[in-house]
Amino acid sequence: MHMEQNPTRPDPAAGPAAYRDYARQWLRAHLPGHMHADSLAYRTPTLDECRDWEASMYHAGLAGMTWPQAYGGLGLTLREHLVVNKEVGALAMPESVSSIGKELAGPIIQTVGTEEQKLQFLPRILAIQDYWCQGFSEPDAGSDLARLRTKATQEGDSWRINGQKIWTSGAAKAHYCLLLTRTGTVADKHRGMLMFAVPMDTPGIRVVPIKSIDGKESFAEVFFDNVVVPDSARLGAPDEGWNAAIRVLSIERATNRMYRAWRFDSELRQLVAACKSDPELAKLLDDGHTQRRIGEVVGEIDALKGLVERTVEQLMAGKSIGARGSLTKLHWSECHQAFMGLALSLVSHVTPRSSALAQRAKKHFTTAYLFARAETIYAGTTEVQLDIIAQRIMNLPKDL
Amino acid sequence: MSTTDHDLKPEEFGQAAAAAITDALAHDFRGAAQVLASAGLCGVCATEDAGGLALDIAFALPIVAEAGKLRLHWPLLETVLIAKALGDSPLAAELVSGARVATWALQGSLAEKFAGHARCAPDCDWVLVADGNGGAALVDRASVEIQEDAALDPEHPQSWLALDKAQVLATLDAETFATLQREGQILIAGYANGAAEGALSATAEYMATRVQFGRPLSAKQAVRHLLARMRLVQEASNAGIERVLAPDEYGSVRRTAPVLAHALANAAFVIEKALHLHGGMGFTWELPLHHALREVRKFDAAFGAGALARQNGRDFIQSV
Ligand SMILES: Cc1cc2nc3c(=O)[nH]c(=O)nc-3n(C[C@H](O)[C@H](O)[C@H](O)COP(=O)(O)OP(=O)(O)OC[C@H]3O[C@@H](n4cnc5c(N)ncnc54)[C@H](O)[C@@H]3O)c2cc1C
Repeated sequence: MHMEQNPTRPDPAAGPAAYRDYARQWLRAHLPGHMHADSLAYRTPTLDECRDWEASMYHAGLAGMTWPQAYGGLGLTLREHLVVNKEVGALAMPESVSSIGKELAGPIIQTVGTEEQKLQFLPRILAIQDYWCQGFSEPDAGSDLARLRTKATQEGDSWRINGQKIWTSGAAKAHYCLLLTRTGTVADKHRGMLMFAVPMDTPGIRVVPIKSIDGKESFAEVFFDNVVVPDSARLGAPDEGWNAAIRVLSIERATNRMYRAWRFDSELRQLVAACKSDPELAKLLDDGHTQRRIGEVVGEIDALKGLVERTVEQLMAGKSIGARGSLTKLHWSECHQAFMGLALSLVSHVTPRSSALAQRAKKHFTTAYLFARAETIYAGTTEVQLDIIAQRIMNLPKDL
Repeated sequence: MSTTDHDLKPEEFGQAAAAAITDALAHDFRGAAQVLASAGLCGVCATEDAGGLALDIAFALPIVAEAGKLRLHWPLLETVLIAKALGDSPLAAELVSGARVATWALQGSLAEKFAGHARCAPDCDWVLVADGNGGAALVDRASVEIQEDAALDPEHPQSWLALDKAQVLATLDAETFATLQREGQILIAGYANGAAEGALSATAEYMATRVQFGRPLSAKQAVRHLLARMRLVQEASNAGIERVLAPDEYGSVRRTAPVLAHALANAAFVIEKALHLHGGMGFTWELPLHHALREVRKFDAAFGAGALARQNGRDFIQSV
């Protein structure tokens, strides 16, 4: 297919189809060769390379689709957001380096932030000038966030924060932390929670990286030792923290990384292409059991696309998603884990004599298999999602 | 799509269909035909000239989902599809009016002189079979010899049809039959998913009222989580089925086989777990859930018991 180097950005009134064609052409023409995760030219991009790529996507009109123009966005609808996401997913490109900013902090600031905060933070998030991290989990408060104890005490016009966060993704590179604290005690449960936008270079913050299963140090423990921030760092009113947190989590579950299903599709193509590239591995694809497992993954991905598209249409119709995000979260996490199990079983047959593409796939899918272990943990574990579905969607009684 | 022409909503059809189907359940096979036809269900997609409503298949979907939910053992989806495929033919009008009932043999062909997996074949007037050359033929049931296989369902055995003397009443060209097959896969998925939904809500209700260890069973996390998982797969099937109705981004029709395979597997999972959660009761004929399981398993067998998923995998591999 002929790809225009610099396709013209469509008129916003042109509708989602025009945006899809534009996104497709632009992404394919501009994604640097070494960032194609399914090609032999691939090499792990640096953080700066990823930032530059994502910033260029923004400047090309492929990010901030639904954010108001006043804050750097395009003021379009979720439909344009979805079509761009589908095209992003269809290419094996690096994951966003700023999804916490773009998909969690940004929406929450738009909902509870002051006008100054919106103007200060939002355009910089989109242009990838600031990275954000999410400081919710604590050593004693993971699934049960109501037990968190990081304390915020008001002192005149400022707040003093003490406590510890854990599993904070991207803390080492972050400029700001979306921090959930409490003003009272653990006995207050959901009351007295307060959210802040805390600059990560504030004195008293210490970031200690944690090595994860994939050998990387992508998350960290974050210690807050007498950290003082002005009242202007507060996001939303006191006591609004819990509701804001729940809203963040429901966004995280329902609409975050909307491209996933289309990315899974492209990963499955990558896996099959890698097997086909090698005569020994190609034989695996003749096996009826393997064919059936691939067919099942195809069915699961189709259903995930259906869940995502339905979410978009419901939101477009003004309905709130609430607990239904848990269905999507649970489905994608388990579907992808099962798929990665299949991928691992296939690439485990790759030897040093296999084709170069197969060897590249082995590296990719083995790491992806390991990293997929996190998917049923972060953004709320499987058990938590099942409880939400049982209680808030099916209205089943809760155990005492 | 003609769905928007009439300002009607498919889901409203589901509610109306539920009443008619409940009524039909109280009648014998022919009586049910009258009830279902009078409610406009048999002709929902048939042409207006044949007395139908000429609505899109999206409107038949909630109807067959209700049929699945209420465990209607009557070839409604087959009749709806065949009445649609017959166009303006007088035969279509007979189906729409409930005077005749048609079923569809999902396996075999006229060329092979052998076909199978036609629901309710002994009770029907006509059977649609593939002709072996891409099209299909509507044959007179009376001209067909039926052999029953009661292994999976003694009350409603699977039928094998010997077609040596089959009398053909009408033929469908390849294009019409391809559309019918595609829509058939969607409606069968909808029926199976409806059956799962019915089993799930019956189970959730039972678990919320049966007290063991001092609390309703659905308060127990193991039970809650299993019910939630059943809900998840049922919703996932639903989302896949809804999605396949609309063309893709480029205006092409979407493939239905992955959705059908997924829906059949999910429905079997949900109904099997529904039986399990009913404890000893679930293993008995006191409960109608076994009927739902048999029906879904019969459809699965008609498509080669898991063969659809295998074929989907093969197709995907070939597409890369
Ligand atoms: C890769 C990764 C990135 C992350 N990034 C962030 C981040 O950026 N910011 C952030 O704030 N957090 C982050 N997290 C933390 C994540 O949100 C928590 O790990 C998660 O909420 C689970 O909490 P926990 O680890 O304390 O486990 P626990 O809550 O201790 O749970 C342990 C196990 O018990 C199960 N369990 C808990 N409660 C119940 C129950 N009521 N019934 C049945 N089973 C139960 C859980 O499902 C789990 O399997 C990240 C985690 C991972 C793995």
